Amino acid sequence: MTIYEKPKVKFVGGEIAYIELCDEVSLNCNKKVHVIYYLILKDIYEGKIDGILEVVPAYSSLTLFYDPRKIKHQHLESYIIRTAEYVVSLNLNEIVKPKIFKIPVIYGEEFGPDFTDVLTITKMSKDEFIKLHTSKEYICYMLGFTPGFIYLGDVDDKIAVPRLDTPRTKVPAGSVGIAGKQTGLYGIESPGGWRLIGRTPVKTFDYKKIPPIPIKPGDIVKFYPITREEYHVLKDKFIDEVQ
Amino acid sequence: MSAVPSIRILESFYASIQDLGRYGFRALGVPVSGAMDKLSAAYANALVGNESNSALIEVIGGNFTFELLRDALLAITGAEVNITVNNMIVSNWTLLYVRKGHVVSIDSPKRGFITYVAIDGGIDVESIMNSKSTYIRGGFGGFNGRLLKQGDIILSKSVSYERLMHLAGAYKAPREIVEKIPKPDDIIEVKATEGIHEELLGDDINILLNNTYSVEVNSDRMGYRLKGEPLKKASKLDKLISIPTNRGYVQIPPDGQPIVLMSDAQTVGGYAVALVAVQNSVDILAQATPGQKVRFKKISPKEAEESNIEYLKLLEKPRLIFEEEVYY
Repeated sequence: MTIYEKPKVKFVGGEIAYIELCDEVSLNCNKKVHVIYYLILKDIYEGKIDGILEVVPAYSSLTLFYDPRKIKHQHLESYIIRTAEYVVSLNLNEIVKPKIFKIPVIYGEEFGPDFTDVLTITKMSKDEFIKLHTSKEYICYMLGFTPGFIYLGDVDDKIAVPRLDTPRTKVPAGSVGIAGKQTGLYGIESPGGWRLIGRTPVKTFDYKKIPPIPIKPGDIVKFYPITREEYHVLKDKFIDEVQ
Repeated sequence: MSAVPSIRILESFYASIQDLGRYGFRALGVPVSGAMDKLSAAYANALVGNESNSALIEVIGGNFTFELLRDALLAITGAEVNITVNNMIVSNWTLLYVRKGHVVSIDSPKRGFITYVAIDGGIDVESIMNSKSTYIRGGFGGFNGRLLKQGDIILSKSVSYERLMHLAGAYKAPREIVEKIPKPDDIIEVKATEGIHEELLGDDINILLNNTYSVEVNSDRMGYRLKGEPLKKASKLDKLISIPTNRGYVQIPPDGQPIVLMSDAQTVGGYAVALVAVQNSVDILAQATPGQKVRFKKISPKEAEESNIEYLKLLEKPRLIFEEEVYY
């Protein structure tokens, strides 16, 4: 488990650069991913590099999609190495300026069908668990597999429970789950294998908006518990409206 | 150009509105979507005088019938299939002038699996994140985020009569483009560079390169599942860290049977990526019929770039040929 001194860059498919910064899922390495991600976006925006079509960050790597008519992989490679070297000299906190999002959650009952099991596994009372889950500011590692799914971490070791053996075919939008050291939120209804502890009434993903979700990689999410009454009051409000 | 009701769906099995894809939102988990065989889609648009990225109808597996609600120029490309206009057989890969009230019927494909129907002016649906493509799993884009069904009325930007006449000419797609559609007994050759986890898979990569695989029935717009000699090492790999994915990634899940990611691929994935196919090959693979044989051919990153350059040029500006010929 190390963060590489120099990123490993691999060119695949004739239009893709895969850049790996480490071989671990850690907030430290992930922060480097975010810094490089935002630096590249800035360079594209300022016209300092041409031919990059899309940049997608993940846990320990990021992937650039490029137009081979406009830039060749040799040039892109030196640009990537230059950018990564530049990052070493930076104060990471100055580049990534995370926004904080507060997200209301109703825990248990029909909103968190695995909550009872999770309390059994963690040997905790409902209040103890909620206190631990809402006490931390979580970093958004990345978004993906489905639109607006946010991967957040890390949860307190005491509430880190494994994912389900058999994923559900349908998880409602807004569901909050735990899988190992991470907690996550489903932006749309989709299949999923995370243990569901609760649900937010607010819409975190709205395909009619640009961007459809205001939470970006590297941003911070803090959950807070709400009652059933509050759930109905907040139902379907967009996340921006409740900050 | 205002949007006018143009097409009424009479019968549909698996058809959706697509353009060339929804780019720029994968960092937020939004898949690209878009046409499965992009070159065929771009050609359909080009034949009716539209931009390559205009929205059109993608018909998977054929069996699609519709009525024209206005006089229109149509082009139907992709799979070789019987097409009739009011029961008269017409050609694909060419420009058709179809009158209001006429019924167009697309049969089951004989060669290839996916057809594209373009209409002059392009299909008019709301643009979601800069694209008109349907993402069915997410329920957004295209026609109300879903497959088309009987009774749906589709709008399009109607082209003025003068422009319509100006466009009308016997334009056809070059033969080599039409011939790209695989015959059912062809072995499709998918050109691919090395993948991302080649080191982890070791010699098993040769299993993938030296065997033919067949396309499984449970393939869909998300991925084409292949079946053949399994890559046994895949079951012994520790859980990999999820990485961003793309159309053309050849993933090896623990059962060792490859999956080629297609247009609706999820944005990140945790399976080993053995190879990465070039886009032109993904287009051709998209046309595979269930059971069709596939083999992989490894190419260098430079060859892959060259292949994509040619492909992107053609996709942006499909080359048409003019033929003096009577058309419907």
